[in-house]
Amino acid sequence: MLPPLLVLTLLVLWPAVDALRFSLGLVPAGNVNYTTGLDLIRSDHPTLAVFGKLFANAAFARDLRLTLFVSVTATLLLSALAYALALYGRFHRGRSTELVRTLYLLPMFIPTIIAAYALTTFYGDNGLFEAMLARVSIGYTSPIRQAWGIVLGQVWVGIPFAVLMLSSGLDGIPEEQIDAARDQGAPFWTILTRLVLPLNVVPLLIVLTFSFIGIFGSFTVPYLLGPTAPNMLGVSMQLNFGSFRQPQLAVALAVFSFAVCAVVGYLYVAATLRQNRRAA
Amino acid sequence: MKATLLCGLLLLGTGSTVASAQAPTTLNLYSEGDVNVKDLWEKDLIPMFQKANPGIRVNLVFSAHGANSQSTLDRMAAAKQAGKVSGVDILEGPVEDAAQKGLLDKLSAQKVPLLARVSPNVVARAGSYGVPYRASSVVLAYDSTKVKNPPKTLSALIEWIGKNPGQFTYNAPDTGGSGNALVTRILKLGIPAAEAGTFETDYDASKEKYWEQGFTTLKKLAPNLYQNGQYSQNNVGTLQLLGKGAISMGPVWSDMGLSYLAQGLLPANIKLTQIDPPLSGGAAYIGVAADSANKAAAYTFLNWLLTPDVQAVVANKMNGYPGVQLKYMPAAVQDKFGDMAGDYSFGFSSKFNADMTRMWYERVAGTPQPQK
Repeated sequence: MLPPLLVLTLLVLWPAVDALRFSLGLVPAGNVNYTTGLDLIRSDHPTLAVFGKLFANAAFARDLRLTLFVSVTATLLLSALAYALALYGRFHRGRSTELVRTLYLLPMFIPTIIAAYALTTFYGDNGLFEAMLARVSIGYTSPIRQAWGIVLGQVWVGIPFAVLMLSSGLDGIPEEQIDAARDQGAPFWTILTRLVLPLNVVPLLIVLTFSFIGIFGSFTVPYLLGPTAPNMLGVSMQLNFGSFRQPQLAVALAVFSFAVCAVVGYLYVAATLRQNRRAA
Repeated sequence: MKATLLCGLLLLGTGSTVASAQAPTTLNLYSEGDVNVKDLWEKDLIPMFQKANPGIRVNLVFSAHGANSQSTLDRMAAAKQAGKVSGVDILEGPVEDAAQKGLLDKLSAQKVPLLARVSPNVVARAGSYGVPYRASSVVLAYDSTKVKNPPKTLSALIEWIGKNPGQFTYNAPDTGGSGNALVTRILKLGIPAAEAGTFETDYDASKEKYWEQGFTTLKKLAPNLYQNGQYSQNNVGTLQLLGKGAISMGPVWSDMGLSYLAQGLLPANIKLTQIDPPLSGGAAYIGVAADSANKAAAYTFLNWLLTPDVQAVVANKMNGYPGVQLKYMPAAVQDKFGDMAGDYSFGFSSKFNADMTRMWYERVAGTPQPQK
């Protein structure tokens, strides 16, 4: 019991509490990088002034809007696409299935940075995609330096985890049940909606939750793709911490992101508990 | 390598009885910048120094685009706090910041004799905490096939951008010095001459009211930039857009532009020019960590960097200006730059620069255009 608790305390709890204190105006005297930050708010007792300043900033509102747009859109698109791929892998019999299974795992072995650059050279301005469309005289405005560019990158990077998660859930559905339904003459659509989806709720919840949390706090993809500004919160934290020399605001952003992700995590736990009770 | 192996054997207690020469001092050099800086260290300077000083080994730790500079500073600060040694001996890059936090050793001509050959105001800019071993400035690059009469002044440049929508862009001020210099230059439009010095060396947030005019100008430029307001990714991004012919003008670093032209990465029709008043440049400073255990070796290294032969290599490889005053350089190098080297304006101090970057993100990039 003790060692895991100790590890968690040292690695997670302590820094988190430290960050929380700093974002509440309690500036630790010993940390040079914190004390030399610009626009510090110092106080002897916890205050919400830092968050007040953050929420009053129009740039933060723009960043948050973009972050929510990308997180929600990419999570939904990713889940839909991953479900389709997982179903194909589970129910389609043939040689192409193996190929598809290999292809959807591919992004797992490609570093995110490389993937982002590859997407840029393919879909970006004067890229291969534009050249191909030009051949058939179709005009093209690249999404790469817009919000949709980030969505594209996030979906691409997230596929392997989502498909693996959903596939393992689908593999757990007994073949006999499906065969029984088929014998009754149930069409595939009915089997899907009445049997497969209800039996595979928990993996779907995991995919939705973890994709959302992962994308909400992501850094690499939004750093390399998407507009110069607004930025997703992960990039905004880095900007505040480094370029703007505002460690306190960066930490407040981190605390805010943590709170959002904690709420989403709570919803997931509550939903799975209900699901398990129903199954029991 | 051999020495490490030897130490390893000794540590393992294999009782190797090879009489070792005196173990060389290892200097950890933390540097940052673009790939051209990395190549300069790895392929030219470090091997050259190694040959001249077999007793000192230099271990390069490189942070591309300064992405890890903050964590290097964190490490040094934490070590200072704990009274330990950070392991950083020599730091290139955030010298000004590190000096403010008391993490660097104050240099002088006693410690580094050749520092006497450097222009005093360039040394003073880093508070004597760094040796300026190379310099460069931001210039205007343009496609001479499309632009017959390039703008000579800042106001002419602003006018040109307005008349040629989509043909100009720059990078965000935190992603590279070329965009940063342009933003700085435009912000200086509203700063009275008497206050100029404050912005370069001090910090007083109340004086940022003088930036209003500059930010308004930048905001007006935005819709006329590449693709109706796209900024390039970084210094290299601007060069690539120029090379592809996607834009026909943009700010670039003198050294990077010349290197790209020399390597054929930019077509020969791209020309470089300086506007009046000049875009800012600066020296790359390199300092010694206050807690370094190898200060003597570090001074040797810094002094060696300022010797004429090494400065000539730096000037040729980086197409940059030498750090020492031009009169101490070989004739060939003097001819290369004429009177250009050493004549650049300075950027803002690091705190003003941080605020400038923040306000640029808040007020220029990604903001809706004002309703006309």
